Amino acid sequence: MKVAFKIWRYDSVSGERALREYEIDAPEEATLLDCLDIVKDKHDGSLAYRKSCRMMICGSCGMRMDGAAVLACKTRMYDIANEGRVPTISAMGNLPIVKDLVVDMDPFWAKFMAMKPWLQPGYDQPDDGREYRITQERMNVVHKEALCINCGCCVSECNAMESDPEFLGPQALAKGMRFVGDPRDGAKVERLEQYSQEHGIWDCTRCYFCNERCPKGVDPRDAIAKLGAEAIAHGIDRDMGAKHAKWFVRSAETTGWLREEELIPKTQGYVAAIKQLKFGISLAKHGKVRPIPFPHTAKDVGEARNLHKLVREQDRGGAMGHVQGEKALERLGHGHAIGGDLEEIYARPNAAPRPWLPEVEEKA
Amino acid sequence: MIAKHDVLVVGAGCAGMRAAIEAFDAGTDVAMISKIHPTRSHSGAAEGGINAALGNAADDSPEIHAYDTVKGSDYIGDQDAIELFAQEAPGDIYQLEHWGAVFSRRDDGKLAQRPFGAAGSPRTVFAADITGHVLIQVLWEQVCKRDIPVYDEFFAWQLVENDGRCQAVVCWDLLHGGLKTVGGKTVVLATGGAGRQYRVTTNAYACTGDGTAMALHLGLPLKDMEFMQFHPTTLYPTGILLTEGCRGEGAYLINKDGERFMKRYAPNALELASRDVVSRSEQTEIDQGRGIEGSVMLDMRHLGAERILDRLPGSRELSMVYAGIDPIYDPVPVRPGAHYHMGGVETDNDGATEMTGLYAAGECACVSIHGANRLGGNSLMETITFGRRAGRAAAEWALANTTVDVPESAERDAEAKLKELLDRTAGERPWKLREELGTSMLENFAVFRREEQMAKQIEIIEDLRERYPNVYVEDKGEVFNSDLTQAIELGNMLDTALCMLTAGLARKESRGAHARPHDYPTRDDENFLHHSITRWKDGGVELTKSDVRFTKWQPEERKY
Repeated sequence: MKVAFKIWRYDSVSGERALREYEIDAPEEATLLDCLDIVKDKHDGSLAYRKSCRMMICGSCGMRMDGAAVLACKTRMYDIANEGRVPTISAMGNLPIVKDLVVDMDPFWAKFMAMKPWLQPGYDQPDDGREYRITQERMNVVHKEALCINCGCCVSECNAMESDPEFLGPQALAKGMRFVGDPRDGAKVERLEQYSQEHGIWDCTRCYFCNERCPKGVDPRDAIAKLGAEAIAHGIDRDMGAKHAKWFVRSAETTGWLREEELIPKTQGYVAAIKQLKFGISLAKHGKVRPIPFPHTAKDVGEARNLHKLVREQDRGGAMGHVQGEKALERLGHGHAIGGDLEEIYARPNAAPRPWLPEVEEKA
Repeated sequence: MIAKHDVLVVGAGCAGMRAAIEAFDAGTDVAMISKIHPTRSHSGAAEGGINAALGNAADDSPEIHAYDTVKGSDYIGDQDAIELFAQEAPGDIYQLEHWGAVFSRRDDGKLAQRPFGAAGSPRTVFAADITGHVLIQVLWEQVCKRDIPVYDEFFAWQLVENDGRCQAVVCWDLLHGGLKTVGGKTVVLATGGAGRQYRVTTNAYACTGDGTAMALHLGLPLKDMEFMQFHPTTLYPTGILLTEGCRGEGAYLINKDGERFMKRYAPNALELASRDVVSRSEQTEIDQGRGIEGSVMLDMRHLGAERILDRLPGSRELSMVYAGIDPIYDPVPVRPGAHYHMGGVETDNDGATEMTGLYAAGECACVSIHGANRLGGNSLMETITFGRRAGRAAAEWALANTTVDVPESAERDAEAKLKELLDRTAGERPWKLREELGTSMLENFAVFRREEQMAKQIEIIEDLRERYPNVYVEDKGEVFNSDLTQAIELGNMLDTALCMLTAGLARKESRGAHARPHDYPTRDDENFLHHSITRWKDGGVELTKSDVRFTKWQPEERKY
């Protein structure tokens, strides 16, 4: 098939930038990475990009296609070529460009290192020298975070990092969650304290671009939410963001309703709230807030309260609750359960034949 | 020379990082050199698991593990190394777990273990189907904890010998350009495999046998180079790996009629026979017209969605992205693809090579615990156990010896050679030779081998080697010049391929991965129960042999 695309070339020595167009012949199964290989081999040997495994596990080939981060090896070109689209390929965002599609990963790894990304053994080391005994359910808390391949796609797309380059960012925080959620780690509280500081958990703007762009389903924003939940569960809630989140939960549990009028005093404190009084009155005039002494209570608030009770009884507070929800969602595809009756699967149109075992004579 | 270290590890996959960690813990100043960032290493693509006789899932012992490995090796694995390996494996697994490896668990909280090919007991510890990834991450975490320096994106090009010792590595600095020499009292090679010699391979682009070639060029012996393992389940048409864990979890192999053909080839072990056996069976089915478009099918439908999602989510994703097939509903087309090189730089049980100060571990080394055929799950374990042993031995030697002395001529010669390559502006582009090598290796030196095809392949390689001095690099820049490194990699692949063919042609028998059904269909212990040793001599390959070390198992007929 014919594939056409443009590449933002960049030469760090001369500082020259140029958008070049390429049209190549590629096999139908070709990925973007295969296409770049064809360009490098047959058209321009100076094109620079990273690659290695070509199977979505090494994390080398993060780059942007039409402004959105992708793994080149995961991006099939068939549909794009068929539709006659001519995508633009460029280096990842939020990291300095070295040459063409190669970025400097040093700032990325510096933030990774800042998380103290290694297990700090906890208190219950097995005394028989064998493995820690932990249920799979407990380990599932870090299941998604452990999938991270450090490709940088989430960092490339991070809006918070664009405005605050010191923001730890989705990848580093997801790595942090990988240890906070690990029952073997003994430094959970210290970590949560550290990650809750400025440029940490609560500086995420919740744009969800990281979740959207992660090629491995790590869902870094969810990891940050889990860190937040764990921090609050451990009483590390000095940050305004933590107080804000806490009030949402508290408010929902007590009245089944978000009491916005109390949000500012609970989040920013009463002094700040008094300073905002004028704003509050303006809101009240427009019917946006209810008078404080008479909070509206939802009719079926009992259900919300029971839910909270259940979470507490089953010890599924903090990150555990998030994980349970994720596990449930994983089994649903677009609202339909995946899989189904085996006989029905075998009977599908054009299905491959049903497997059978041949009879083989036993040799003496 | 830009720096000196006690121990210099070349390659930063599982074996390299494990060696570096051990050398650090032994109290040495250790550094790693790697052409790609450590977490990009191809160890991370290992899927199915890592073998150690923990006995969590069923009765097991290091003795049974050792026996399975000896039998799997078709009796040319060195038995003292294998026994030591099986004995030390469980301790290494517990250590990885204590470091934080996120392995899959049993209901009782212990590590889960799954059945794997040719294993007498469910012995394979795993993390769903991303075991290698989990190991790479945990080792990288431990490297970070120790703050071990990494010469990241340094392409190791030449080993420097001085006073009969290996004392430095000349590298091309990919990110900034320029040749940089890094000195080491000891050097540990851990550069992985060379599957890129084949057009259809599970291996990453980085797997070009650089360390093996550097050792070869230094005159060191390479052992058992003819044994290249073909993995039975690589995705059609890309050759991307689908783990043996699929079959470990119960997947079937079927031909176009739906027949589970393995019953005819390995009536007891079926799909879980040894890899060489399964690959040959598949190739026979395909050759005899019972395949579909050059492949057979891996059928997971009966496993059910839940098991697939829990235990094989990565394989499902690979099938969906690269074949457009969801294995929950349809079988996946697979065929044998080049996967693992049993051969490599000859070492003793501590990773020491023939040259003082030079060690090797992992796929680039040949201890040999795999002999003629490696069992699935044994290579990840080998990287850890022998990576650790090599790191320890290299550190001990470095602590007892003090100097690093690199003659200026080493760097000067390298500069001259580099200039010659970069100054060339016409000739052939490396990709042409690379494609010819990949296609011809697959045709002439794959699952089944014939005398005349091997002889022809030697001619092809000789021709490519003659043309190689005329390849030219288009990129003349200093910054991230991967055009240059790919040209060097091609030279490495050509030289090691010649060793493979030379050893293969001389082995007139069928053993493990070296199958010659047309001219020498059986194993010949009388004449070939030995290792093949190849080394570079006078611009060609010299072939000799060495004895297999036996302890308690005598060769028997191998049935599954």
